[in-house]
Amino acid sequence: MLSEEAKKEIEKALRKYPNKRSAVMDALRSAQKARGGHLEKADMDEIAVILEMQSVEVNAAAAFYTMYNIDKPVGRHHIQVCRNISCSLLGAEHLIKHMERTLNIKTGETTPDKRITLSTVECLGSCGTAPMMQINDDFHENLTEAKVDEILKGLK
Amino acid sequence: MVTVKINGKEITVEDNTLILDAARHAGYEIPTFCYQADLVGIGSCRMCLVEIEGQRKLQPSCVTPVLHGMAINTETPTVMSARASMLEFLLANHALDCPVCDKGGECELQDMVYKYGPHKGRHAEPKFKFQEKDYALSPVIIKNSNRCVQCLKCVRVCREVVGANVLGALGRGDHQEETSFFRHFLDCDQDGNCIEVCPVGCFMRLPYRYKTRPWDLKGADTICQWCATGCRMVIEERDGVLIRSKAQFGVGLNSETLCARGRFGNDSMTRAERLKTPLVRRFGKLEPASWQEALAVIKDNVPSDGERIGGIASPRLTNEELYLFQKLFRNVFGSANIDSSARWDPDAVEAFIKAASMDAGGVSVFDCMESETVIVIGSQVSDENPVTDYIIRRISAGRRMNLVIASPRAMKLDSSANLKIRHTAGKAGALLESVILSFNSARVAGTGGLEDMASGRLASVTSEAGVDGEAVESLARKLKSSGSVAIMAGTDFLRFPEGIAKLGLLKDLLKSSGKKVSVLPLLDRANQRGAWEMGVHPSLGPAYARAKQKGLGTDEMLEAVSKGALDFLYIAGSDVASMYPDEGVATAALGRARFLVVQDTFMTDTAKFAHVVLPGAAFGEKEGTFTNQEGRAQAIRRLMHPPGKAKPDLDIIRAIGERFDPSFGPKNFVLALDEIRSGNRMYSNVSLAFNNKKNSDNRLDSKEALVQGAGASDLEAKEFAQKPSAESAEYPFRLITGNHLFHSGKGTMRSETLSGLLKAAVVEISEEDAASLGLKNGDRVRVKSKDYAAVVTLRTARGSKNAHAFLAENFEDCPVNRFLRRGEGPPMVSITRA
Ligand code: SF4
Ligand code: SF4
Ligand code: FES
Ligand code: FES
Repeated sequence: MLSEEAKKEIEKALRKYPNKRSAVMDALRSAQKARGGHLEKADMDEIAVILEMQSVEVNAAAAFYTMYNIDKPVGRHHIQVCRNISCSLLGAEHLIKHMERTLNIKTGETTPDKRITLSTVECLGSCGTAPMMQINDDFHENLTEAKVDEILKGLK
Repeated sequence: MVTVKINGKEITVEDNTLILDAARHAGYEIPTFCYQADLVGIGSCRMCLVEIEGQRKLQPSCVTPVLHGMAINTETPTVMSARASMLEFLLANHALDCPVCDKGGECELQDMVYKYGPHKGRHAEPKFKFQEKDYALSPVIIKNSNRCVQCLKCVRVCREVVGANVLGALGRGDHQEETSFFRHFLDCDQDGNCIEVCPVGCFMRLPYRYKTRPWDLKGADTICQWCATGCRMVIEERDGVLIRSKAQFGVGLNSETLCARGRFGNDSMTRAERLKTPLVRRFGKLEPASWQEALAVIKDNVPSDGERIGGIASPRLTNEELYLFQKLFRNVFGSANIDSSARWDPDAVEAFIKAASMDAGGVSVFDCMESETVIVIGSQVSDENPVTDYIIRRISAGRRMNLVIASPRAMKLDSSANLKIRHTAGKAGALLESVILSFNSARVAGTGGLEDMASGRLASVTSEAGVDGEAVESLARKLKSSGSVAIMAGTDFLRFPEGIAKLGLLKDLLKSSGKKVSVLPLLDRANQRGAWEMGVHPSLGPAYARAKQKGLGTDEMLEAVSKGALDFLYIAGSDVASMYPDEGVATAALGRARFLVVQDTFMTDTAKFAHVVLPGAAFGEKEGTFTNQEGRAQAIRRLMHPPGKAKPDLDIIRAIGERFDPSFGPKNFVLALDEIRSGNRMYSNVSLAFNNKKNSDNRLDSKEALVQGAGASDLEAKEFAQKPSAESAEYPFRLITGNHLFHSGKGTMRSETLSGLLKAAVVEISEEDAASLGLKNGDRVRVKSKDYAAVVTLRTARGSKNAHAFLAENFEDCPVNRFLRRGEGPPMVSITRA
């Protein structure tokens, strides 16, 4: 069941668009937030009913974007490191290895205390400030090993 | 028109022609995966890249229109190497398990790699796999995603053409999988169009799995036997067993699409229970006999007085058979008592033919779809004529037009309509009258008394139709502002004939207002139109000419049999006992028949009453022509021989005729067709050549197959009145009947695949009604009328009219004709938890 709050948010999003289905991205985001970082089948079914779409269409929209985590619960902080060309050239692979070591998890995993999930994504459109990563809704740019350590420390 | 050069060859084509089509015109083949003429282009697979002089990058020819003066090269080394590279990428993760793949031998990927290379891969990485084992997506679909080329045709055909929209492209890049929501078993139309369009062995037929290789199949290019849409298909057999039916891209009005019945229903043909020998009743029991014997018994029992003879022939027989059937009755037996339906009143049929102007010749569905407003009324088109539904959906999505659907039941096509009207079942007449009054309101405006009368009448018919005035006005407005209107009128007009007069009136009114009007009948039996046009009707001879003498229709024949006024009844291919709308009347009459001859492919409920049973041929075992609802005469072809001693129906009818008159019959269907051509002016131009023509330019409309007009006509339209349904609080639901998406009549019930999809009856009511009764989808419920009750499974439908229940006509566990009473409106029933 979607939370009341998520439902309200979806209602609000609906007002922004000329037709219901256009609100699918907003709806998925609200549902994901309500569940604490991931989406489940029931959420997509419910969204489909509200937006008068087929569940599989909602699923297809969600599955296309790395920002939606279908059936993959994430920690409180979801770190998405860009590993596309600009970031890779400027050392993204090295930073990823470094974080794996510091957090003692592999890419795709969550720390046992559910604090942090580490994953990699394709270009986030911030190549000018590469290497970069996104933690929940925020970008962290021009990263260095030291800067990463600092950031990790700040994640409670 | 634009002129372009393709590989140096100059060619002039219409504006906006795609480079791909222009090249094909010029005789150059360009390979494609994601392109399909009747789907919206997405240009994603990049197989069709071509070089355009002056442009640095290659361009996808399937989404790029030609521009004047373009010089295009389709066969340069750059293009060739692009093709090879695209294929190399597709093979990077491809399973390459051709030896165990059902698609092997007719796989587009195989063919293309063979033709364009690369014949050696360079990818050393381990292959990505979606799954280890194939998984079933439905009782007819089995899936292997590892072979996918991501052309998305399956998803697109399901959304854009079928309208079910249950498949999605999940994920992205090479990890994108075309499948259902969480790979769930699909509760969909099960038409297998996703399978048909799949170029590789990704979507596959479950019933066909591991049965054969395509090169071991023998095929016949024919026309579907199930509804009057008239889809072209190839049926294929191996070792005398029908293995598969498939459509062909760019061929027939349906191109690559079919519905579940067409694609999966033909296995009913090769069942062990087929009738294989004539049977003659001896001492109360039906026993095997020779043809000689059976025919002799028949001859001995044909009364000399034609008035005591009657015949009913199925609208699934061919034109040639039907023509010969009426010739036998009219010319040999001297009887005018013939009919082609166990369900409709012949006067209603005549009125409908007149209202729909069927005597004016064929009307193409594609022409209808060019109208500014298209009205679908009296038809469950999504269930009854699924491929007509596809055509309407596909074309209406691509142009600005009004699509109006008037039906008590919600249907899949609703999503394409810009006006939906939910009128009370059996009240299409009242609805049309209100539209006519509203359309005409300007004419009576300001006339005082006349205006009051009209508006009083408008209010009363609107409420009788159970619709709100706004919908009626909106439809009238749409009609007023349209220069061309098409009305697609379905079989509900025949079930409840009092609406026919209004249908004719609306047509005439629109015509007299200077609009171009076409009426397309939507019929549910493959050759219903042909049966009427061949003259299998008690008052109409071939080409709707009035017969010299008016005979009895099915109703009256059964009554006459019961009363002992008719001694000899010959029923060919029609299961009167189970299809006649009032089972009690039919079985009582058949039980009393003095001499009953039944010709069929199976031991039907009707055949059980017979004195002589004659084994006929199934549609894949004979040749002839069918006329579809539009009036296209198309040839059906023989794939196999009938089993045992069974014979093509034409031969049987001729053999009976020859017993009386040795010069009776044309010896084969070609000669029979010649005879039809010379005597029936609607058919004078019909030629067998149409069938073998591949449509050029993706134009699916072969107009030369449409039958001609009959010339001056004296058709009559009687007014019909129907006893109103007895409304009461005890029975709150109005019962509607018709065909199910998976079944039409009794024939499809004999298909293993189709009865696997749905074997037992379901009753459908609106979601709101279900909720207020505390019922949900899947519950077992009791459907009860004052005469009959049955327990069936409940289906809920969003958007159907409340207080209406729908039951399909063909299920053995719930014969709807036990609910029906002759001459009465829709029966009233109650629905309660069982
Ligand atoms: S069978 Fe038809 S409705 Fe079902 S998934 Fe395939 S195309 Fe869609
Ligand atoms: S739409 Fe009608 S003619 Fe076409 S495949 Fe289905 S049943 Fe056959
Ligand atoms: S490559 Fe990392 S943001 Fe673009
Ligand atoms: S056929 Fe042109 S891109 Fe696929």
